[in-house]
Amino acid sequence: MTKKEKHDELLISHPPHIRSSESIPRIMWTVIIALAPAAVFSVYLFGIRALVLISVSVVSAVIAETLIRLLLRKPATSLDGSAVITGMLLAMNLPPLAPWWMAAVGSFFAIIIVKQLFGGLGFNIFNPALAARAFLTASWPAHMSGDWYRFSDMNVLSPAINNAAGFPPEVFDALTRATPLALLKEGPKILADNNISVSRLYDMATSADMLKSLFAGNVGGVVGETSAILLLAGALFLFIRKIITWHIPVTFIGTVAAAAAVFYSLMGLSAPHLTALYHVLSGGLLLGAFFMATDTVTSPVSGKGKVLFGIGCGLITFIIRMWGGYPEGVCYAILIMNALVPLIDRFMKPKVFGVRKMKTGEARVLASPKNKGVAK
Amino acid sequence: MEIKVIVTILLGSIFINNYVLARMLGVCPFLGVLQKLDSAAVLGLAVVFFMTLTSFITYPIYKYVLAPNNISYLTTIAFIIVIGSLAQFMEMIIRKYCPPLFQALEIFPPLIVTNCAVLGAAVINISSGFAGPDVTLGMIKSVAQGFGGGVGFTLALIIMVGIRERLELADIPENLKGAPVTFLTAGLLALAFFGFSGLKI
Amino acid sequence: MKYGEVFTKGIWERNPQLVIGLALCPTLAVSTSVSNALWMMLATSFVLLGSNLLISSIRKIVPAHFRIPIFMTIIAAFVTVVDRLLSAYRPDVLHALGIFVPLIAVNCIILLRGEEFAQKNGMFASALDGIGMGIGFGLTITVLALVREILGANRLFGYVLIPGLEPAGVMILAPGAFFSIALMLWAVNALKSRRNRK
Repeated sequence: MTKKEKHDELLISHPPHIRSSESIPRIMWTVIIALAPAAVFSVYLFGIRALVLISVSVVSAVIAETLIRLLLRKPATSLDGSAVITGMLLAMNLPPLAPWWMAAVGSFFAIIIVKQLFGGLGFNIFNPALAARAFLTASWPAHMSGDWYRFSDMNVLSPAINNAAGFPPEVFDALTRATPLALLKEGPKILADNNISVSRLYDMATSADMLKSLFAGNVGGVVGETSAILLLAGALFLFIRKIITWHIPVTFIGTVAAAAAVFYSLMGLSAPHLTALYHVLSGGLLLGAFFMATDTVTSPVSGKGKVLFGIGCGLITFIIRMWGGYPEGVCYAILIMNALVPLIDRFMKPKVFGVRKMKTGEARVLASPKNKGVAK
Repeated sequence: MEIKVIVTILLGSIFINNYVLARMLGVCPFLGVLQKLDSAAVLGLAVVFFMTLTSFITYPIYKYVLAPNNISYLTTIAFIIVIGSLAQFMEMIIRKYCPPLFQALEIFPPLIVTNCAVLGAAVINISSGFAGPDVTLGMIKSVAQGFGGGVGFTLALIIMVGIRERLELADIPENLKGAPVTFLTAGLLALAFFGFSGLKI
Repeated sequence: MKYGEVFTKGIWERNPQLVIGLALCPTLAVSTSVSNALWMMLATSFVLLGSNLLISSIRKIVPAHFRIPIFMTIIAAFVTVVDRLLSAYRPDVLHALGIFVPLIAVNCIILLRGEEFAQKNGMFASALDGIGMGIGFGLTITVLALVREILGANRLFGYVLIPGLEPAGVMILAPGAFFSIALMLWAVNALKSRRNRK
């Protein structure tokens, strides 16, 4: 059996996710265009360092893909766009002031270890960019949780937020040293230490200024996550081009919003829906839910499976955000659900095209790798 | 308060200090012995049961026999003997009263007894200082730790078997197939489980 | 019997972790630094030598039915000796290796050597087998530890290698252990298949 045949066979064994005749490069470049506005905005907001991160990351990813495929003696795929996307997404998941070599190391890890050693595009179990982010976080935690861009002085939170709530200056300084998500995690302690009612933290979080900044994107955070409106625009483009379906983003974001709304209303906040909105707009939820959880290779095939996947992502994200050690849980939630995809697919089998009359059991026997051995 | 302690121990041993992915105990059954999801689930259940039982029995042995007589250096021998005889005893009971289950479990007794996770659970109960003055609490903590450890092992095993099935279709470099790619997957899974680190209720 | 082969086979041909695929838990867990790895090699070799010798010497009087429990008790006894020795002379090492000292008792490779070799062979050969296997086991851990300590801590035997370089801390943690052993097994497989082709 030649390599080419093997490949064809494998493509048949995975039901087609995209029903149009679009080729892989076409899809990939569409995703890149969808990511572009948020990426360009990050350079405007964070300056040259963001541009350096994105360029280093993309170039390293393409180099890594070329090198490893040469080493493995496989046909080159460097320009199909998938490595470019991985590089872009990785950079968009790094703090703006992270050193450039971290982007390079992360890209090499993502492309070589997470993607190509598992068989390349279409076979990786985990989202390469997110696995690389987890790798970098475990390796250089100080950079990953501290290299934030400062808008002025120490202010990481947002230039648009002023001390309208009237916190004592040192408390306000402490609060604005955090990214919007870290604010929820560290804020209560800062306020408690200063004998200030914690409810004022949520007033600050749900103020019109704050929500507007989150929506527009002039807030702190990792490179690509800040601007909700541009991420939504990109996502809309992907919807229109039928690259992604509603299942995962809607259930993922919906679950986080619902969990937050329930949690904060049980806590007795006056505007739990606004705090839930804060959860949705802050951190990497929109970036993750639209651009990374939806990756067809690492998400379930069937609609039901996708819904389950999205709910799982949402719950784990919320649990880590509220009770975990890290401020953000989106990355880990998606990775953990990636690992569960084979099990979800197994129990929520999609309709197999062309074998309607067969029982599913027979279809599985035909599709099983053991049968391929016989065919050899 | 105590319920919180127990839940923390459970969450800890399942997610944060997962026996396989963080403590690196019980790694061998990962490597190719089990290909099928159902047999992995059965082995998992057996390990959960056995680790809970082991914790339940080894804790009082340490607390009432070894520690008071100042012979805690005999812990390893005592635990090995207890685990070995427990496995033998269970095998006899199952063979006598439930032959079909015995057949289903045939390959498992050696896998369970030589599984370092079982002795690991017993030793961790002692080294975590559960053998404090409050015996009942220590007992519950130990059993929770053993049970959680078994559940964590099963969780990792089932996820892994699921992924391995999918990897059979993948175009993986020839020399990387089998154990190497399984370890690669385990490493990535361990990275993903880092998300739970620091989880507090 | 070729004694040389009995001694050396554990190092490559029948290497416990790389070829037989056993004793992986301590390999992964203890390979965080080269000094831990060397101590583990010493402790495990001692237990292997002791249990192989004792099992070989009583091989004719052990009832076949009860041999496994007897072997396991013998192994656990030698582990206890190691534990006592370390606690008396090197408590720091005992602390660094932690629960993986008592867990030597369930290191499958030791039981396997007793079952597969020592109960069928004389004491001299069994001793050679034990030491050879111990060294093979230890070498694998040491190589792994070398990689992990250099990449994950920028250190070797505790000394900083390149001042100012920020090491990838994850290599010291569990994921790093899994990645390193995976790449090591990959390299070994590649070597083996290249040799087979020749």
